[in-house]
Amino acid sequence: MASPAPSGSPPLVIYSCTDEQMLEVTELVGDSATAAIVCSQYDCSFTAVSCVLKYLAAQQADLSEQMDGTAKAEVALSLDVAFLLFSAYLVFGPMQLGFALLCAGAIRSKNSMNVLMKNILDACTGAIGFYLFGYAFAFGHHANQTSNAFIGDHNFALSYTTQVSSLDSNVSYDGFATQGWHVFFFQWSFCAAATTIVSGAVAERCTFQAYLAYAFFISSFVYPVVVHWVWSASGWLSAFNTSRDGYALLLQTGAIDFAGGGVVHLTGGMAALMGAWIIGPRIGRFDASGKVNEMKGHSATLVVMGTFLLWFGFYGFNPGSNLTIATTASAIVVSRVAVTTTLSAGAAGLTGLFWRYMRTSTWDTVLVCNCCLAGLVGITCSCSVVEPWAALICGFVAAFVFIGFEYVVLYKMKIDDPVSAVALHLFCGVWGLLFPGLLAQPTYVADVYGAYGFGPDVKGSKKFGILYGGHGQVLLCQVIEALSICAWVGVMMGAFFGLLKVAKRLRVPVDQELAGLDVSKHTNEAYNGAIMPTAGGGAGGGGGYGSNGGERGSGFYTGAGPAGDTSTGGGHAANGGYD
Amino acid sequence: MSEACLLAAKSALVGVANGDSLASAICAAMEAAAPVARHLQETTVDLTTLQETVDTIGLNLQGTMDGLNTLLLLYGGALVFLMHGGSAMLEAGAIRSKNAMNILLQTVLDASCSALMWYFVGFAFAFGIGDKPNKFIGNAMFALVDIDTHNTGSGTGKWIDWFFQWAFAATAVTIPAGAVAERFNFNAYLGYSMFIGGWVYPIIAHWVWCIEGWLGYGVIKPFINAGMIDFAGSGVIHMTGGLAGLIGAIMVGPRLGRFDADGKPVDMPGHSAILVVLGTVLLWFGWYGFNPASVLLINSSTYAIVCGRAAVCTTLAGAAGGVSCLIFGFARHRGWDLVGLCNGILCGFVAVTACPHVIYPWAAIICGLVAGLWFEFLCWLLLKLKIDDPLSAGPMHFGCGMWGVFFTGLFARQQYIQEYYVHGPSAAGELSKPYPWGAFYKGYNADGELVMSDGKLLASQIVGILVIIGWVIGMMVPFFGIFQFFGALRIPPEEEEMGLDRSKHGGSAYNGTGANTLGGLSPGNDVMRNNSPLGKVLPVTA
Repeated sequence: MASPAPSGSPPLVIYSCTDEQMLEVTELVGDSATAAIVCSQYDCSFTAVSCVLKYLAAQQADLSEQMDGTAKAEVALSLDVAFLLFSAYLVFGPMQLGFALLCAGAIRSKNSMNVLMKNILDACTGAIGFYLFGYAFAFGHHANQTSNAFIGDHNFALSYTTQVSSLDSNVSYDGFATQGWHVFFFQWSFCAAATTIVSGAVAERCTFQAYLAYAFFISSFVYPVVVHWVWSASGWLSAFNTSRDGYALLLQTGAIDFAGGGVVHLTGGMAALMGAWIIGPRIGRFDASGKVNEMKGHSATLVVMGTFLLWFGFYGFNPGSNLTIATTASAIVVSRVAVTTTLSAGAAGLTGLFWRYMRTSTWDTVLVCNCCLAGLVGITCSCSVVEPWAALICGFVAAFVFIGFEYVVLYKMKIDDPVSAVALHLFCGVWGLLFPGLLAQPTYVADVYGAYGFGPDVKGSKKFGILYGGHGQVLLCQVIEALSICAWVGVMMGAFFGLLKVAKRLRVPVDQELAGLDVSKHTNEAYNGAIMPTAGGGAGGGGGYGSNGGERGSGFYTGAGPAGDTSTGGGHAANGGYD
Repeated sequence: MSEACLLAAKSALVGVANGDSLASAICAAMEAAAPVARHLQETTVDLTTLQETVDTIGLNLQGTMDGLNTLLLLYGGALVFLMHGGSAMLEAGAIRSKNAMNILLQTVLDASCSALMWYFVGFAFAFGIGDKPNKFIGNAMFALVDIDTHNTGSGTGKWIDWFFQWAFAATAVTIPAGAVAERFNFNAYLGYSMFIGGWVYPIIAHWVWCIEGWLGYGVIKPFINAGMIDFAGSGVIHMTGGLAGLIGAIMVGPRLGRFDADGKPVDMPGHSAILVVLGTVLLWFGWYGFNPASVLLINSSTYAIVCGRAAVCTTLAGAAGGVSCLIFGFARHRGWDLVGLCNGILCGFVAVTACPHVIYPWAAIICGLVAGLWFEFLCWLLLKLKIDDPLSAGPMHFGCGMWGVFFTGLFARQQYIQEYYVHGPSAAGELSKPYPWGAFYKGYNADGELVMSDGKLLASQIVGILVIIGWVIGMMVPFFGIFQFFGALRIPPEEEEMGLDRSKHGGSAYNGTGANTLGGLSPGNDVMRNNSPLGKVLPVTA
């Protein structure tokens, strides 16, 4: 110990020992320096043993206090920060990459570069928007105050975070745990996920300026407001709001949205719907009589890669949303989330596989990928409060929701959504939001939300899924959340895209769309080398839909590999075109 | 001196010589001791509060440790899951583009299918410890129903064990996809995927990894009082998956045109080296979840050290395997073979997976170097035997996995073993001594003398290899045999020539007029006739 003096209550009286007592004390404690301290702090006039005993007891109490503080504040906080950071890395890295590859693979090769660039830039723009305004609107409040139920009002450009994230900060230590750097980073990664959902829906025809403006607008205002409603401690939908005598504002319950099936996916999906609807279909998507033409994506490999990366990222998205892992109870919740997430994805993937096989006798890879993602989106809200078997049901239904609404969006609503973002994020998001209203398990709800707006009597007041005999408050809250997010995002993004459309800034000119945005806007293509087979090839520009390619003679490609490959490696990086 | 004390003492000492003086001495002593007793009492009160604080600390610390261990397994499991993405890319890149969609689907399907099978039966067979546990098979926690009352006997919490172990099961399931690529019937694959994920793999996992098993080193009553060391599954996962794939490849026969009329092998290069590299690097990344996280607990310095050593040895073995294949390839063909390098790296990883926690780093390099050469030899052998394994999954996973298990019997250090394993704890909690160790080292026997190894560990490793081979052959040969009997193992020749993507999956993986999409030119039909670098038109042998 650095300082031997007990910090608890310093003795008021300064004692002193006689030489004889000093000698005895020294003999007991071992060294004269400590003995002097003991003599000065305790009355050794009776026996040396008693004062040394007192000293030792005080020392131990002090030590345990310090250890306690260390275990709680230092180690646990560090562990939570590490957990949050790695979850955010998973949400940002693999999920952004997954979205990018999925989009790139699901569209035609002539626009790959364009959509990839949009995916990178919405992360860049979103970071700035979320830093300047978004994080403040979402979670900002003045120290020791609450913000209003609609929108946050402090911490613009991280001013408050900067203040509390400092060792000599005079703000309470809790400030860092709840508003520190790592929280911003974690929340931003979710914001980036919500933002990027739209890029696929408006792919191949949206102008770059419009997309940049959209990314800034949604990440700095539209999305953060939703976050504030549902996740902040003062939001009106939030289950973390305890301002009504310890209960949440909404029905004394609040909406269950564990990892953002509503906040992230429904928001992104609704924005995607407005975008795809207002911008109109790609040229040639519907023929003159309104019949749908097939426009296949250019690479199933990229779609599969994107799916796996997204699935991987969901292990940061869902378990990470518990925010803390440093207690046994939270470790259990985190691990349960990993299990239910997996099962929902698995069930949804198999459902899609067999459904399509029964209908068309083909095993459809892209559909299985999309259905896995549908299962993941569907379980996002409820992953912490449902049983594993319920997760199977969630995924099973999510697959049908996806398949059904993919059809409805394209064939009934006549909206051209190249990557099915609307069916995936909007409709599966809605299903996911409703699901805890049906099958949230009582004990799990009490574990996860009992300490917050649900109040300690979760079971008594029957705040759980109606299929367990709940009273339906939860379901009603879920419905209200779904409706209010749809309304808010629909109005905001509808007005935004509508204005851009009126100003003729939303869509690229027809000739550019036909040529492909890679050539017209980016001066080059994602794949170079019409004769050199490259990773992802696709040098051909024009409308590739309906064609599976490859019927042309391949003599053209003979021996066209880069010299380095053939001379040293004994072959091309890509084989298949030899003649 | 209190009168009451004196009176009481005197009456007690009636009849004793010098009773009065003795009584006064006792009372004086008691009086003198009273403040000490009071002090002691106060101190005891302090100690009670101290105990309470310590309990709170313990609780907090327990929570922190649970959190830490959960974090390890959560991210470890997620990384292992990412290996699926790696396998998908590797397999897609290493086959011809006309079947890319098919193999991609199989990999995604493996993940979904194994999750369900693992939930319903697999986890229970492997790790469920029921009320009457047995050595052969687990018998609790089917569909996780009794998860509140039963334990897995490994790992930390219960939920996270399911997740982490599922990621491994999914890996075992997906390995054979490469061996039977481009010609396997999809129904057969679906059946196989469920069978291995729900039955074949879980049984082996129970034997080796569940503490109620009989074959593993850390089980309660290990085989010949030694048991087999298989840290992250060279035997349990890679040999199982690789051998199942190899059996499938042998029974389904080679791809059309793989061997010409004279029986000479014809080159069938994959369609994209870039995908192969992407897949390899993702697998490499994922292996840092596969091996180091297999330590399962990380809440003590010792476990942290074991975890770190596993990461070091894993890296070195993979690197050595890659270099050995690269140089061997150059020596043979005078060309720097990229795909060979990638394969070699993976061989090193597969081999070291059994033992990265109990060997020296230099031993890991030896392990990787030999694995690469062993792999090359086995590939050559397979071609001689006219077995077509497009991804070399048999030599890589089965061959190198076997080498890794065997290698552990030679190079496992006793000190490192003792750091990690609780060897054969009896019912009374006594450990059985000594800890058997690798054949090449000296170690301490039961009497604490430094002696050469008695080879018990090596014997266990060899028995483990044989048992796994026997079990997988016994299960998979009849299983594939049934499909073959009904003619449902292999697709018809015309479909194979056309490519599975078009015949079964409703289209190619790549669309676009240029058709040289991800991974290059993909003329579906043409590949079959034009895939020879020599430009020779091959006879299609049905």
